[in-house]
Amino acid sequence: MTTTTHETSTTAASARGLTKTYGDGPAAVHALDGIDLDLAPGRFTAVMGPSGSGKSTLMHCLAGLDRPTDGSIVVDGTDLTRLGDDDLTRFRRDRLGFVFQAFNLLPMLTARQNIVLPIELAGRRLDATAATRLDQVVDVLGLADRLDHRPGELSGGQQQRVAIARALVGDASIVFADEPTGNLDSTASAEVLSYLRRSVRELGRTVVMVTHELDAAAYADDVVVLADGRIRSHLHAPSTDELVDALKVGA
Amino acid sequence: MRTVLIASLRAHTRRYVAAFVAVTIAVGFVVVTNALASATKAGLSQGVDDAYPASDLVVGERYGISEHDLRATLETARREGDTTSVIANGWLPVRSDDRTLGSEVTVGTVSTDDTMRRQDVTTGRAPRSDREALVDRGAAKADGIAIGDVLTLGSGPQGQEVTVVGLADSVSYLGADVYVPWPTLSRVPGAQADAVSYRVGDGAVGRRTAQLEDVVDDAQVRTRPAYVDDRVTMVNQGVDVISYLLLLFAAIAAFVAVLVIANTFTILFAQRTRDFALLRCVGATGRQVLRSVRVESFALAVVASVIGVVGGAGAGYGLTALVRAFAGPERIGAVSLSPSWLVAAFVGGVVVTWIAAWWPTRAVTRVSPLAALRPAESPGVRSRGGRVRAGLGLAVVAASTAVLVGAVTANSLPVLLVGGMASFVGVLLLGPVIVPALLRAVGRLLRRTGPSLRIASANAVRNPRRSAATTASLLVGVTLTTAVLTGMASARGAIESQMDAQHPVDVALTGETSIGAATLRQVADTRGVTAARAVNGVVATAKGLGSVPVLGPDETARRSTLDPAALHAVPGRVLVPPDVLGDLDGEVPDRLTLDVDGRRTTLPTRVVGSEWGRALVVNPATLRGLGGDPAPLAVWVQAADGTDPDTLGGDLGAVARDADLDTTNALKDRAYVDLQLDVLVYAVLGLLGIAVAIALVGIANTVGLSVLERGREHALLRALGLTRRQLRRVLAAEGLLLAVVAAVIGTVLGTAYGWLGVLTIVRTAVPDAPLVMPWTELGAVVVVAALAGLAACVLPARRAARIAPAQGLTLD
Repeated sequence: MTTTTHETSTTAASARGLTKTYGDGPAAVHALDGIDLDLAPGRFTAVMGPSGSGKSTLMHCLAGLDRPTDGSIVVDGTDLTRLGDDDLTRFRRDRLGFVFQAFNLLPMLTARQNIVLPIELAGRRLDATAATRLDQVVDVLGLADRLDHRPGELSGGQQQRVAIARALVGDASIVFADEPTGNLDSTASAEVLSYLRRSVRELGRTVVMVTHELDAAAYADDVVVLADGRIRSHLHAPSTDELVDALKVGA
Repeated sequence: MRTVLIASLRAHTRRYVAAFVAVTIAVGFVVVTNALASATKAGLSQGVDDAYPASDLVVGERYGISEHDLRATLETARREGDTTSVIANGWLPVRSDDRTLGSEVTVGTVSTDDTMRRQDVTTGRAPRSDREALVDRGAAKADGIAIGDVLTLGSGPQGQEVTVVGLADSVSYLGADVYVPWPTLSRVPGAQADAVSYRVGDGAVGRRTAQLEDVVDDAQVRTRPAYVDDRVTMVNQGVDVISYLLLLFAAIAAFVAVLVIANTFTILFAQRTRDFALLRCVGATGRQVLRSVRVESFALAVVASVIGVVGGAGAGYGLTALVRAFAGPERIGAVSLSPSWLVAAFVGGVVVTWIAAWWPTRAVTRVSPLAALRPAESPGVRSRGGRVRAGLGLAVVAASTAVLVGAVTANSLPVLLVGGMASFVGVLLLGPVIVPALLRAVGRLLRRTGPSLRIASANAVRNPRRSAATTASLLVGVTLTTAVLTGMASARGAIESQMDAQHPVDVALTGETSIGAATLRQVADTRGVTAARAVNGVVATAKGLGSVPVLGPDETARRSTLDPAALHAVPGRVLVPPDVLGDLDGEVPDRLTLDVDGRRTTLPTRVVGSEWGRALVVNPATLRGLGGDPAPLAVWVQAADGTDPDTLGGDLGAVARDADLDTTNALKDRAYVDLQLDVLVYAVLGLLGIAVAIALVGIANTVGLSVLERGREHALLRALGLTRRQLRRVLAAEGLLLAVVAAVIGTVLGTAYGWLGVLTIVRTAVPDAPLVMPWTELGAVVVVAALAGLAACVLPARRAARIAPAQGLTLD
């Protein structure tokens, strides 16, 4: 496939020798212990692993939310470790999208205001392109009649859909999702995951999702399995059996 | 529960800082008041004790001694060969050679008897004759007086010349700048005897007491200790009145502290709802949880009050030491803190905190165990309680408006105060409705400036009650400040129009010989003079007055004064000003016969309050009919704004002496009144500053606690692309919005109260007093409040911006 050559020629995000240590001396905890990782663009990657394996830390570092102790991170051609706080912030604002497990939305803003918040933070107006994309995203996510509601008036699944819409409405090259279904029941989870997959398939986005749920990982194209701060395996389009095996070894 | 209590006290210490500071300041203020009052009393008492050395008896009434009793006492002393010293003082014009030292210099008495003299001579010697004077060391330094200088006390024919022979230490009780022996002072009009210090020569004190009691009318004859005791009590009562006035400001500060503390607890408990619910889940009863938080607030109350008492005492001693160091040890005595004040301050602090925490702690028992399992919700804007509150607020505002209107109609100050306080409470009740509405309006105005302000204004209105309570604390200070500013501006306007009528001429130079063109030019060329008009007149003699200038100011001369109407005489009438009135001993005949070069004219008199020196004023037409040859006998000077009265007085005094003219300097009186008003305004504003400071601590606190509460939101915003600077701006803007809204509501209310005050109080005294809006000052209040609100948020904003997004996302 043509996309395969494209994937090998460029990466959406890559990490080299990524280390994150908390504390020092004998009490030091190595949350990430020398990770080398390349994430392909236009794919839905799940990062899995047991509690404390470092999957959230990995995502925080890749997304420029936290600074690694050592190593380099290149996202969308930019070396994040070389950016100052303000440049890093602007990079996140312009190039990345986020969906968190909970508290994704500002409670005092309406759904629509939450969705266009990154554009507003950038000091830009909602231009024609962005407006078209907003309509498209809202349509895909089925939020058209919920735009004027505040987060308190939305269900958990709807809140996560608003967060996805926010991540997609900008020109983000990667969307990071941290346990996006952790607080949802199975129906809502399935809904949110299929929306994430649709955004990869239909809108051509790159999504990196941290999860510990096997069902959630099943929606992904690729799966990275972490254990004790290292990569145990990096599977491309694994079958459920392959996935279960990879996690078993890890456990 | 004790483990929980101690752990939560430790965990939340930082969050209690603001409440703690508020209580400490209020309690400390009360203790400082007591410390300063006690030191002042000690200083004054010592001074009273020192004022009557070597005397057996003191003769005098509570507020002085009548002339008859004074004469009788001195007569008895002379007959019996006893020694006396008259204690007296007055505010007199004093001149040294060619300079005016002031038109109201304090002049006291000094005894020529060494044993009865109360002053300590530091340089030179004590006066031995009636023509010698002692000068206060500080005053001598300030006015450049040296030993050997000749001073003239009083003005006109009764002026007395004395030679300075020594300098003395300051005296705290009945102190003065210049001391002269009583026989000299008694000859200057305006000096008032206070008491006679009396030493019995033959030691028969009892007999002499009886003798004196026989000859005096009203004065009491008491032994020195008895008299001193009585005086000390009287002086202390004066200090007590000031102490109680200061307590009023302490009460205002305490009220603001209550708002800050209540708000702090409300926010803290809201943040800890989950903790409480969890405690309930694991088996704590509602009562146990309640007791735990009550003990927590009690611990805060006790610690803050103790520190307030200790800190206040320290500040009191420190301030006293400062006063001693800079103003001299005789100005203020030793601090003796009264146990009852300390206990009252401590108990007051504890009770205030307790009351402030009572309502918020009640909410704790309403937390259901299930709340631990639910995500926290922000309280609804339109709760039932909120509507009841708003309705009540409207009712109170409506009722108190009626009361205020009644107060203005009835000119009743107490009714005004009651109406004012009630309406303020009404506004506070309406706060959760008014404040968010205004926050939204102001936020909308500023929204264009970017996303920071938009988020800030959305944040500010999230919890209407919290925003209302935060602004309420600042509202108190701003309302009182602007009320004082507006009231004083109008009062000042009224006083100034009165002063214009009373002192239409800034400086008048008056004499009995024709003033030459050269002198007039010299006056006009003096720095600070904007207009100098020669006024024609003739010299007349009249019964009881001797020779006196009669001036007939024409239209031009009158027009250049501050109040031309005050100088206008109806043809055929003569205006008698206070300076001439003094010569007539206050008894003015209905008609005055003026003799000008042997030609007699009898005119009806009109006594006026306006001052233009020692001269009568008639209509120019009348002047022509008096005979003689009208010539310029006076120069009326108007000075530029901001001219220093002493410098101008000195410069013109030099010209006046060369031309043999008397000067009357009204600028000095005006400057004195202005100074009094300024001192009053600044003192009140300074004291209100304490309440404002507490309110700002409250704003910093609310924003700081909101920062803790919104850690996750801030992390989310940072993740989505809000820079550190933008986040700081969001928080600063929130503080700014709260402060601006408080300042705007406060200014509107304060101005209204100020005007009502003018209508009720000033208009009764001066019916046509203008309503003056001090726009500059009001603008300054809003700007200062806004800047202070901004400044209050600097620390919380910095702390919030320091947290890395990933760290914030894991916050609970």
